[in-house]
Amino acid sequence: MLQTLDIEHRLKSTLDEFVADWGLDAEITAETWLVEDLGFDSIDVIQFIVAVETAFDKRNVGFQELIMQDGRYVDDLSVGQMATFLEARLPAA
Amino acid sequence: MTKTLLLGLDGATFTVLDGFMKEAGEEGVVMPYLAQLVKTGYSAPLKSTAHPLTPPAWTSVSTGRTPGHHGIYDFVRFEDLGKDVYFTLYDSRDIRVETFWQIAGRQGKSVVSLNFPMLAPPPEVNGALVPGFVSWKHLRRNMHPKSLFDRIKAIEGFDAQELSWDFEREGQIGEIMPDAELHDWVEGHLPRDKQWFNIGLALLSEDQPDIFALMLDGVDKIQHQAWHRLDPKYWHPDEADEAAHKVRQVVLRYYRELDTYIERLHKAAGPDVHLVIVSDHGFTGAEKVVRINRYLGELGHLTWAKSDGSEAAKRRDLANFANLDWENTQAFCPTPSSNGVVIRKQSEACPNGVPAAEYAAFRAKLIEDLLALEDPETGERVITAVQTREDAFPGAAMEDAPDLTLTLCDHGFVSVKNLEPAVVTRPVPMGTHHPDGIFVMTGPGVENRRGPAMSIVDTTTIVAHAAGMEIPKDFEGKIPATLYQPAHIAANPVKIGAAAGQNAAVKSDQEASDEQKEEVLAQLRMLGYLED
Repeated sequence: MLQTLDIEHRLKSTLDEFVADWGLDAEITAETWLVEDLGFDSIDVIQFIVAVETAFDKRNVGFQELIMQDGRYVDDLSVGQMATFLEARLPAA
Repeated sequence: MTKTLLLGLDGATFTVLDGFMKEAGEEGVVMPYLAQLVKTGYSAPLKSTAHPLTPPAWTSVSTGRTPGHHGIYDFVRFEDLGKDVYFTLYDSRDIRVETFWQIAGRQGKSVVSLNFPMLAPPPEVNGALVPGFVSWKHLRRNMHPKSLFDRIKAIEGFDAQELSWDFEREGQIGEIMPDAELHDWVEGHLPRDKQWFNIGLALLSEDQPDIFALMLDGVDKIQHQAWHRLDPKYWHPDEADEAAHKVRQVVLRYYRELDTYIERLHKAAGPDVHLVIVSDHGFTGAEKVVRINRYLGELGHLTWAKSDGSEAAKRRDLANFANLDWENTQAFCPTPSSNGVVIRKQSEACPNGVPAAEYAAFRAKLIEDLLALEDPETGERVITAVQTREDAFPGAAMEDAPDLTLTLCDHGFVSVKNLEPAVVTRPVPMGTHHPDGIFVMTGPGVENRRGPAMSIVDTTTIVAHAAGMEIPKDFEGKIPATLYQPAHIAANPVKIGAAAGQNAAVKSDQEASDEQKEEVLAQLRMLGYLED
């Protein structure tokens, strides 16, 4: 398994690059929420998943299980939640 | 020096352009340069993909393959999880075959490809590629090469927000707008194509790629909303008020600007260039709303999701994809743009799906029921054709296509909303896609005539040949026999080469999927379910 800190670090740098042109002044941490803190809309979430899959060179990680819960799309996601999810899903580096 | 110039005009149709290429009273000739090209070159109707929709059709231009092979059917794809269905967007990783832009590079040709959809994340090409339909927030990451964004940013007048796809604005397509609002909505689209033109002109002049390709999609957007101010069938100037005339004027301004973009790009490419202008589909007016999921519900094939009244549930109801009780749904239409019906097959995850043994009979009865749907006002049938996926989309990617694809009596798109009645007349006709797009070509050896109907995949073969490439043997298009003068084709014969490759992303998915299968098999072996 990739370690949580490695994953978090790569997630944060992907997110830093992702929002580089958005004119935001927010420090990205594990507690950063995509919608509440960075103003993501649904298209941004989809694009971010593509960016994460590209950064980890792994498609079909199963993000739908993180995004859909009890038949509903979740309202928000944090960097920490994504890191925990990826830790469980990604094979050893 | 650029040899081949491909200009895509999303949704362009001779229904509108024929009138704009002629003298028409006070309006004059709206598109004199296009008129000259048609007069001196070759033109023909261009048949779109089996379902004439932007993502599959432009992907056919980008690959030379029909959707049954390239695997793109809609803007949105879904994964059936049994109890739920997860909707997301198609992207370039879903294209199963190598793109023409990559093939050209392998054959030593340089390319500039701008604004063709479904190409994000961008493939690596020998040149520059900016995919279409990308929000401004994601432009930088979605260009090839990575340094291209800073280069484009330096072009005078560049504005990322004007250039990019505005999901909120495009989401308004289909809403009834008063003329004053419609005027502003149309006017808001003019700067976008100008931005693409500016980038195109700069890269064409500076890079002089062997193949230059630019797609302009303002035609489609404007025709969707303002069709009743465009189509000679609906536009009656003597009956129109001032606000309606103002809409007509701003629409004409768009087409006049478009004509100058074509002229300036053509002239910038040089006199010996082969210029190919194509649209991904044509246009017509839709007068009916067909609420297909409502009808499927009345037939007993689907159950609507129950709303708990929460904000999330309201947002989901408003979204333009089916919101259903998935445990009690056997057949549904996923999105309005798909015009498709998906039959869910019985599986462990989907126990209430249609059993395999009953599939053929279920589908045959469903086709019969769909064709029987009538307009209560006229008694006429509203679905004129139902194609099975093996008829509409034969190929290795056929399994991803809807089981059935519908053609409505007015070529309209279906609605997936839970409203009644199932069929109703629109207050204002709305622009919708027609299978017949346009093909116009000029350049050395090109005949001067109007030819018979062609296929959209012919475009890629023609562009490859004009650029001096070998045609991959799995390309599905051909060079029409009437396109070139005999001496030209004799001096420049069509050379067939090796088949195009697979999309590397798909290949790696397949490998990953094989790895996962191996893991499952290993676990089953450990549990004693399988013998080695």
